[in-house]
Amino acid sequence: MTNQPFRPMGRRDFLRNLAITSGAITIGGSLLAACGDSSSPTTVDGLPIGTPDNPIKLPVTTDAIADGLPSESGTLEILNWADYQNPESIAIFEEKFGCKVVTSIYDTEEAAIAKLRNGTFKPDLILGMTDTGLAKLIAADLLQPLNKSYIPNFENVISGLRSPYYDLDSQYTVPYFIYGNGIGYRTDRIDKNAFAGNGYDTLWDSQFSGKLGVLDSYRDTLAMAMFRAGNFDANTTDAAIIKKAGDDLVALREATNPKVDILAYQEMPAGNRDINFTWSGDLFTALQYLPEGVAPDVLGFWYPEKTVAKNDFMCITKTAKAPVLAHQLINFLSDTDNALLNREYVGYQPALETITVDLLISSGTIPESLVEALVTPEKYDAGFAQVSLEPTVDSLWLEQWTRFTAG
Amino acid sequence: MDALYRRLTTANLKNSPRLWAGFAIPGTVWLTVLFVIPFYAVACVAFGTIDPVFRDAVPQWNPLSWDFVQAKQIFTSLATGPLRGVAIRTVVYVVCAMTLCFVIGFPIAYFLARHAGKRKLLLLVLIIVPFWVNYLMRMLAWVNLLSVDGLFTRFMRNFGINYNWLDGSPITVTLGLVYGYIPFLILPLYATLERLDWRLVDAARDLGAKPRQAFRLVTLPMSKAGLVAAGILIALPMFGDYYTNDLLSRSPSTEMIGNQIDFFLNASTQPQNGALLVLALSLFLLLFMSFYLRSTRQQSRQVTR
Repeated sequence: MTNQPFRPMGRRDFLRNLAITSGAITIGGSLLAACGDSSSPTTVDGLPIGTPDNPIKLPVTTDAIADGLPSESGTLEILNWADYQNPESIAIFEEKFGCKVVTSIYDTEEAAIAKLRNGTFKPDLILGMTDTGLAKLIAADLLQPLNKSYIPNFENVISGLRSPYYDLDSQYTVPYFIYGNGIGYRTDRIDKNAFAGNGYDTLWDSQFSGKLGVLDSYRDTLAMAMFRAGNFDANTTDAAIIKKAGDDLVALREATNPKVDILAYQEMPAGNRDINFTWSGDLFTALQYLPEGVAPDVLGFWYPEKTVAKNDFMCITKTAKAPVLAHQLINFLSDTDNALLNREYVGYQPALETITVDLLISSGTIPESLVEALVTPEKYDAGFAQVSLEPTVDSLWLEQWTRFTAG
Repeated sequence: MDALYRRLTTANLKNSPRLWAGFAIPGTVWLTVLFVIPFYAVACVAFGTIDPVFRDAVPQWNPLSWDFVQAKQIFTSLATGPLRGVAIRTVVYVVCAMTLCFVIGFPIAYFLARHAGKRKLLLLVLIIVPFWVNYLMRMLAWVNLLSVDGLFTRFMRNFGINYNWLDGSPITVTLGLVYGYIPFLILPLYATLERLDWRLVDAARDLGAKPRQAFRLVTLPMSKAGLVAAGILIALPMFGDYYTNDLLSRSPSTEMIGNQIDFFLNASTQPQNGALLVLALSLFLLLFMSFYLRSTRQQSRQVTR
């Protein structure tokens, strides 16, 4: 399989940027503590931000579209990450609703939001945005509230995400995909029981020198080092804990000379890596990159008890020219069968309660060795959320990341 | 045409300083639009602020209001902090790669200029042809060749060399730099050597100089300007290179300054740090440029004497 490190921005770039942007918005711990009222907006420097401890009901500045409107004819414009929707699914939608779907690609949330603000992008529907991006979209007044009467499949969404902390009552958003952080490994080279005793320590094992990778995402990888050390605040402001995580990553670097990238989905199936700290969805994507004749169960995943779990979502712009169609596509992608078809291409796991672990396994597309990579609602609930850091704290995280990556 | 010819005669040109100045206008406009203004913008980002809401870089266009706090941090880091190792490593890699480029490239350029004869054009084209392919494509090809089961790796095993080339190896990164930039050394060097007055070398030989002496005392000094120009030409992009390391290593142990610039500009919440590193690198490269300018000035003085 050809390596393709320079390709259009894809899901992995997105997840890296997600972690980046989660460090991009100003919010202080003290302020979080002071914002206990979940019914009123929490705003910092104009940004409405919710956290699991302090969920937020976002301000509404315009009405949702009326009930029972006919679908528009013509074109539905989507803004999405590269390779983050199944063209086959889109073709079915086009045929069903007699429209044409045009997709524009974005490669970072910041760039997308900047272009939405200056009018370069004028999509009807945005896919794959995250909570930190949502805060900016709301601050810039770029979204319209949803009319759920067009989205009956919303009831398929994982119950814990029907009123998420970043958008109570899902006024603006419908979850799209979910994932968790963990360790992918080659089952033909590492015994899965190795993780039972060693957990995250496995990554520090010098026997994997040159055959180990970690995520090129400072929030994810530093948080992983913190979890290993028994510090379970993925958004810590404690300089000593952040420094300790940096020290530990330097030790990891010296022990294993790791690769720091977002290419586990290519390098592991190619056999270039034995072990990689990565996003759970990468392992499903990796199945498509297995060389001919290599069994899928060569890939395994250890899902830590203490780890980060996140999701992204779909939302409609305030200036959408085809808002009904946009609602229809959200509903379409939230349908169980359509979501399964979409997943076949994207690889990641739809945030639907109806798509259970059993259903995915029985579909025959996921080997038994990767069952752990599936994010159940319980795992999602138990996962830690990464929220935004105030700039001074963010600098501390970046400083330690630089120590690690600067070699 | 006759009138134009008359205007362009030496006598007229000497009396028409405005015409001379006019020739500089396109270059001046070009430099202003594509270098001075963008470079000033980089400085404004480097000494600017960050939008507290959208976390974009907010350039500070007024130099009187520039903020140097972040600059102090970055320069301290380069001098004594985490970035020091990256800076030193970058210099070492570039010096090694340049040395190899000269060792490999000079004989090739020399052969082309002196001994290729009728095959000169063909050989020149053969050297250039691979480089019609995009740099990234060529490096990606090497990634496949150098992978554990790659053709090159398997070939080298026949000679008892079982090396994991993509294991975050400084050797691979340095060789990648050499491969990527060597044609940019060969071509200007060839252009210089081809224009040399080889009768001087013949004269040196007639006067008793041995081949090595003639090379050391005549050929090499005469090709100094070309060597310096070619060296500058490859050194500048090498110092800012990050693709080579990204493709052939991706390991912190081979991180170069360009990788840090890429990180801060594209993947962090502190884009002004990236701009500051660009400025720091530019300052460093100014040393090379100063050397080049001094060298060419000396050369032109010698010619006019």
